[in-house]
Amino acid sequence: MRLITSRIVKLTLLSVLLPLNYVSAEMTSLSDNDLSEVDGAGIGLVMDDFVFSHGNDIANDKVFKISGITDSAGAPVSINVNQLYIASSGSNNGTTLDPVNLGRLSNPYEIDLLDGDDVDVGLPGEAVLQFAAPTKVATGTGYSCIDPTLGANSGDCSSRPADTLTSDGLWENGERPDMGLELEITTGTSGPKNLNFNVKSAVFDGSYLRLWGDDDNKKMAAEFRLNFYTPELQISTCSQVNQACTSSVKMQDFQLELALGTTFQPLYIGADNVTGGLTVEISKITHEYISNLNAGVSDGTANGDAAAAFFTDYYTNDNYRSNIVIGKLDIGGTDLGSAKVEGMLIQYLDVKFRDLAP
Amino acid sequence: MKNKFKIFIVCIFASVNCSAEMASINDSELSEVTGQSGVYLSGEVSINEQGGPLADSYFGACTDSAKTCGARLSFQTQESGGWFVIDDIKGSIAFEGLTFQVREINSGFGGDGALFNKAVLEIGMPESIRMNDFEFTLATGSSSRPSDVGYKQVDFMTVEMSGELTLEGNLLVFPTP
Repeated sequence: MRLITSRIVKLTLLSVLLPLNYVSAEMTSLSDNDLSEVDGAGIGLVMDDFVFSHGNDIANDKVFKISGITDSAGAPVSINVNQLYIASSGSNNGTTLDPVNLGRLSNPYEIDLLDGDDVDVGLPGEAVLQFAAPTKVATGTGYSCIDPTLGANSGDCSSRPADTLTSDGLWENGERPDMGLELEITTGTSGPKNLNFNVKSAVFDGSYLRLWGDDDNKKMAAEFRLNFYTPELQISTCSQVNQACTSSVKMQDFQLELALGTTFQPLYIGADNVTGGLTVEISKITHEYISNLNAGVSDGTANGDAAAAFFTDYYTNDNYRSNIVIGKLDIGGTDLGSAKVEGMLIQYLDVKFRDLAP
Repeated sequence: MKNKFKIFIVCIFASVNCSAEMASINDSELSEVTGQSGVYLSGEVSINEQGGPLADSYFGACTDSAKTCGARLSFQTQESGGWFVIDDIKGSIAFEGLTFQVREINSGFGGDGALFNKAVLEIGMPESIRMNDFEFTLATGSSSRPSDVGYKQVDFMTVEMSGELTLEGNLLVFPTP
């Protein structure tokens, strides 16, 4: 019996091992070349045929209110949001709500985890969370950021205006929404007043928010770029049924390029642990070898040269500067021409909000 | 016993002739595989409509105007800093027809679809979305809990929404290189 058992064991082992010789499903190693093809992937987001609208309309059982705000005398301010909308260009201040696309399949809105070691990110050893609008493209290969009447190869924005003629025919949606916020404000005993913000064919290409942990300061640090282009930004006091009234400020060909925070001078947004107020801070500009500069010139050491190169880049790099350009400013029908505030560089910012209520 | 042993051996070696190894699926075969259907969701999310479970110096019943009855979310962005607060969250959101499905895109989108030529996750906005007395307050506070000693909170504004919203479209989600 013992002999039989021994043979059964041997034969069982053989039967198990023999078939394995015919199956070749072994793991194989990845070469450096294979690994170089692996990339950290982000998540692309595109809103297709998008329309949003809501507003305070008691007759139709709709409520949209903002409260909890007081005026300088401490009286409550009641704000009815008559309409908040996002729709296709040509909405006529939100009265015609057609669908729009937000982002392109080839250049979408994106949520991504970036490697700080990448020279384009510039935060060695850090993981960076990025929320990004469609990126800009090479100048002359995209569309004009401002003028929706210009076709392809007229600028560096990726988002296309509504009714763009493409290889696939007329692209009605486009990727540039009309947006608006129409408010009815009641303060104290005075009657309601209107305040409306309407934007045509808005473009946010090139905007992004990067967040990371600042280990030294134990704070969440940010780098924020907001690019906002529109052929017309209108601020008016018109009633909701008469949005085309002349009581308005029209900013045509409006461009805002806002740069808040950099990798070496981050933006910190937080709250005060005593007053509870909001705090916004951008660190003072400095460099670890700033003492090696004499009147802005390197002392000839390697450290001094590094500091000089850093500040040369800081003062000449347009990416660190904010710009506001208004092609044509019209107040109540009077043309005031163009206005520009260009090249703003924030060297230090420390803003603390506090409650004025007693 | 001897016969049984012979049968056992025959059975074991017979198994050598079985070749049931895993076989790879090529791109052509994979292209035939499609998601057949999606998910259609309807529901209602209600948050503290009648008040929450806490009752202390700050939280209480919704009938007590001196107290907060909504939910509260606070988070900190600096280790020893104050807190961002979304306070007094209450009300309900009812929706019908929120959809999830895989969509093959190879045309449309102003010529982008043909170049894209891939599948995406499509989240369809609800056919109907209605808010009932939904409100929240945006604020910042000196510490995490309003019952903490010396706590101070700065309220920015309270937003209140009710009624049917106009919300149309599809959110397309896909990996990017």
